[in-house]
Amino acid sequence: MKAKLISTLFAGLLLVTPFVAVNAGDDDKHHGDDGALKKAVAEATAAKKKAASVGGEWRDIGKFLKKAKKAAKKGKMKKAMKLAKKAKWQAEAGYKQVMAQKTVELPSYLK
Amino acid sequence: MSISKSTSLMRKTLLAAASVALLGTSQLALADENGKELAFTRKKGNCLACHMISGGSNAGTIGPALIDMKARFPKRDVLKAQIWDATVNNPESPMPPFGKHKILNDKELDAVVDFIWNL
Amino acid sequence: MKRLFTAAVVIALPLVMAGSAVASPADDSSAIRSYFSKKFPAVELNEFGNGVYAIDKVSRESWEAIEEFPPYETFVDAGEEMWNTAFANGKGYKDCFADGPGVAHKYPHWDKEKGMVMTLPLAINNCRKANGEKPLKYAKGSINDILSYMTYNSRGHKTNVVIPSDDPRAMAAYEEGKQFYFARRGQLNFSCASCHMQNSGNYIRSDILSPALGHTTGFPVYRSKWGTVGTLHRRFKGCNKQVRAKPFKPQGQEYRNLEYFLTYMSNGLELNGPSARK
Ligand code: HEC
Ligand code: HEC
Repeated sequence: MKAKLISTLFAGLLLVTPFVAVNAGDDDKHHGDDGALKKAVAEATAAKKKAASVGGEWRDIGKFLKKAKKAAKKGKMKKAMKLAKKAKWQAEAGYKQVMAQKTVELPSYLK
Repeated sequence: MSISKSTSLMRKTLLAAASVALLGTSQLALADENGKELAFTRKKGNCLACHMISGGSNAGTIGPALIDMKARFPKRDVLKAQIWDATVNNPESPMPPFGKHKILNDKELDAVVDFIWNL
Repeated sequence: MKRLFTAAVVIALPLVMAGSAVASPADDSSAIRSYFSKKFPAVELNEFGNGVYAIDKVSRESWEAIEEFPPYETFVDAGEEMWNTAFANGKGYKDCFADGPGVAHKYPHWDKEKGMVMTLPLAINNCRKANGEKPLKYAKGSINDILSYMTYNSRGHKTNVVIPSDDPRAMAAYEEGKQFYFARRGQLNFSCASCHMQNSGNYIRSDILSPALGHTTGFPVYRSKWGTVGTLHRRFKGCNKQVRAKPFKPQGQEYRNLEYFLTYMSNGLELNGPSARK
């Protein structure tokens, strides 16, 4: 009986643990990550500029960066980092999109 | 520990176990529902903008109706590739590259592929 | 900006000089016209100026009913008042536009002296600035009043965009506009042509996509969705945003060159603005 009880309790604990961990992750103030975030935001901002210089910026990049800075102010470093990385990825994708279409020909359906 | 206490605990444990099991099945159903939701909503797949899909309304006419997908795509991977980036197969396709441009993330894309494959 | 532009000229020049290998504007135009006339054989050339209502009978009926009491009329009236009201220095629009308000068909044109595409909204603001008035905003607001009035007075004139052969920068501007039209952009990866050429006549959700041919003749446009009259460049912005591309500045070089290309495609079609749309 006792053994069973203990094992169920243990199983219950196991079930609960991941949720606790996830919740803690978002609210925790990891001031140590400040530098890493600053770097990520700077990289994203540079990538955004580069995309804009060829007319390839996507719509929401600026919004992601604003949100990242806001989240960082509230100490939500994980969220901020995610947003900064997303902004950088989109900016690079927008730049590549333009580079892949340097010369446009009329599409085949117009020929 | 008294008997009554331990049976009540037992009952609670059983209940917990049962609800965990229930959660399992409803999550499976959820995955399906989720794929449909992702395919239909404008801010995600918005496949209805161009494709007729059973269960959806106000469908566009830009792409073919999505029916009998397993017959069209015996291989799930081939279907997934179409949704990942349609321009590989047809450089002039107007269909957005849902995977390549991360319009849907990996999980969302898989849920959509599952939903479409079962049409 | 300027550097970008000269870079574009440097890139585009050899293309232009290569001659027959590259399609001339006239070639582009005839390819596009033959595409649309095959796609919509029942629609006469000038009818394309009515956008989606040229190709869809059902929505055309309610549109014709709306045109009985045009929602843009009050904007035309407000524009007339602007036209007749003197600036603080005693001068007015009349002094800038000597031929009267009905000159919309003379835009956009290549301004050799400035080395850029001159549009009507830009000319209106140049007039204001030259007379010490504040320039108007380019997408929303009272620029649409004066535009409505001037366009209304230009009805029936034919679109007639010229790409002068004595200035290669004009050709470069046209090529830039064309490149803009056919290049995919935004996270959703559409070009303008994906919707308004390849899929014109198709439904996207419950909207029918209008053909690119005739797209410029009816502006400014009263849109029920806007609840007001808006400029062509406001429309460009909206169409960029919906594919998740960052829109460009109204009257910036990108949209002016786009307007140059797009209006050229409608050469010969009558101006019929302002008009009403869903
Ligand atoms: C802008 C219009 C558009 C949107 C939005 C769109 N598609 Fe498509 N789709 C097309 C077109 C056009 C085709 C025809 C083949 C091609 O050009 O790639 C197509 C083809 C397909 C095919 C192959 C069908 C066949 O029988 O060969 C599948 C599967 C498909 N799309 C799934 C999707 C899914 C899933 C979504 C939403 C996540 C979606 N599409 C969104 C336009 C679109
Ligand atoms: C995803 C599809 C899509 C793309 C891409 C798109 N548009 Fe549109 N556009 C629409 C829809 C929908 C409307 C409203 C219905 C109509 O008139 O076609 C519209 C309307 C317009 C109109 C107004 C037509 C009228 O008669 O009033 C113009 C002009 C226009 N678009 C230009 C552009 C340009 C320029 C681009 C490229 C920058 C572009 N569009 C890209 C979907 C699109």
